[in-house]
Amino acid sequence: MSATASRADMERMLKRCAAGYTMRRTTHGYSIKFNGRTYPSMPKFDNIELGHIRKMVRHLQINRDCARQTIPI
Amino acid sequence: MTNHHPLIFTLRDTISGDGFLAGITLSGRALMVKEDDGKWWTYGVRPGALAESSTTPEESFARFRNRYKEVLFDTAHDCKKFADFKREVERFLNEADAEEEQRWNDALAAVRGCSGPLLEPFSKLPRERPESSPVKVTVENLAAGGRKFKPSDNINDKLAKAA
Repeated sequence: MSATASRADMERMLKRCAAGYTMRRTTHGYSIKFNGRTYPSMPKFDNIELGHIRKMVRHLQINRDCARQTIPI
Repeated sequence: MTNHHPLIFTLRDTISGDGFLAGITLSGRALMVKEDDGKWWTYGVRPGALAESSTTPEESFARFRNRYKEVLFDTAHDCKKFADFKREVERFLNEADAEEEQRWNDALAAVRGCSGPLLEPFSKLPRERPESSPVKVTVENLAAGGRKFKPSDNINDKLAKAA
């Protein structure tokens, strides 16, 4: 069983570490924008495997130390 | 033996949009890693904004491929014109993840410096030099006037281990 975080925790992390981010529901998932970059492939599940969040943090260039204070990526 | 596997792939998709039909061909890069959660993760390098996992490398890549297609579907849903779709798909596919690219390059260097046997299924993948398969994206309007369709337009998904 993979480690997961709730979508609510992910949004909490984004509010804290990615000020000005936007998150939009698409047919197949969520599209998250920050820093002039887009992560359009976040799964729509309530609990999200940490690998997806780790990849989003890397891609959107979110401060990793900040993110780790909310989610153990 | 390295746990990071640099992959090269080519995918071709035909996507229906609102009044247009688009053909997308991507020669891309991904890094497959067995993570501490015991799963095989396929991390996109080009495109960078994509990841998927599973318990086997084969299924991980299949899920990555499917997730990629879903992003194309979502983009088609959001764009009213072919020009908008093309711009958005090219942005998605060209938006690099510099850190992932570095990890991919490091993994390639490790593969080139290792003379030991590869794990299955990587040992069964064809080997390809990145220089012979550069990253490339084409987005075509297939419904543009006068286009002739041929069976030779069809290509299989191609997956190789970078070497």
